Amino acid sequence: MSFESDLLAILPRLRRFAASLSRDRADADDLCQAALEKALRARDQWQPGTRLDSWMYRIMRNLWIDEGRSRQRAARTFAPEEAGEHVGHAGDRDVEAHVMLSDVDRAMRSLPEEQREAIALVLVEGLSYKEAAEVLDIPMGTLTSRLVRGRGALIELLGEAA
Amino acid sequence: MTDIDETMLIALVDGELDEVSRRRIERAVAEDPALAARLDMHVRLRDRLADHYAPIEAEPVPAAMRALLQAEAKVVPLARPVAARRHAWMTGGAIAASLLLGLGIGHFSGGGDGPVAVEQGTMVAQGELASALETQLASAQDSAPIRIGLSFRRKGGGWCRSFEGQAISGVACRQEQGWQVQQLVPGSGQETAYRQASSGDARLMATVDALMDGSPLDAAQEKAAKARRWQ
Repeated sequence: MSFESDLLAILPRLRRFAASLSRDRADADDLCQAALEKALRARDQWQPGTRLDSWMYRIMRNLWIDEGRSRQRAARTFAPEEAGEHVGHAGDRDVEAHVMLSDVDRAMRSLPEEQREAIALVLVEGLSYKEAAEVLDIPMGTLTSRLVRGRGALIELLGEAA
Repeated sequence: MTDIDETMLIALVDGELDEVSRRRIERAVAEDPALAARLDMHVRLRDRLADHYAPIEAEPVPAAMRALLQAEAKVVPLARPVAARRHAWMTGGAIAASLLLGLGIGHFSGGGDGPVAVEQGTMVAQGELASALETQLASAQDSAPIRIGLSFRRKGGGWCRSFEGQAISGVACRQEQGWQVQQLVPGSGQETAYRQASSGDARLMATVDALMDGSPLDAAQEKAAKARRWQ
């Protein structure tokens, strides 16, 4: 199988991972598309025989973090002007977006990035602790403590119905 | 109370415990209703998250992503597709015929056992290629020798599919009698000198673009078209 067809085979899972990281499905597919483009450019860096899915998860996660930083920069740069022109507007939009989201989406979004990515890899993608720790480049102990804290927060947010 | 902490409880739920630890916790859970309730909560949380995101995995992949991976399928970095096309390639049947000759594929008498035969002046898929085009789904072809790329409706009606094999890749459209090959390029197994000259994918994508009405079929549409025998 070629590199591309291997990517195509795991693409449904990559989209799922993107969705569990992102604020909405459009962001998720943008992230996924960007990750595929990056993977195709960086294909020489992938070592055959290692797990392509883990490699892709790492690319996506790093892209997401980088993008998050630029989102924050953009928010800092544009927020004052926007707040001046449309007072209260951004807040309203935020409320609307929340209404559209399911409880699980909302709860996941409220987690700190580092807990959400750990939860996404282990609980949604089904990676082992070892695999997830490697993707995130953190020690196992750090991973498990993020899983404990993330789960605690989710259970609190989702209530007894979790 | 027991000495079972939250980390061990979730490790059990995540399938990370060895047999001995697992049994120890299961015994503790059996004796302690409060612990059992916490375990149950973690099991339900994991199930709920998995169920919530599962439908995304089942969705057909967006056409843009599929096309990106299929368009890149055989790009050889040394040869820019545009340059290759300008210098080395004509269009249509002339390319296909010269490739057939150059690669030594095909039995022009109309019979034989190659993937392509010439019948009444047109190239027609036969054997393994014909059966892949007729029956293979892009979503289920892990180890198939010939891989189906895009399936799509042709302008003016009818169905076409792109394919990729070791020896040849191309685009074929379903006619009444079978699959008429629209274009052939060297396949993924060709040596560099030949592949550089072709970078086949760019021209196949151009052919697909020129033929296609709308966007490629998703997995469900592909399955339905196959079930109707591409009629």
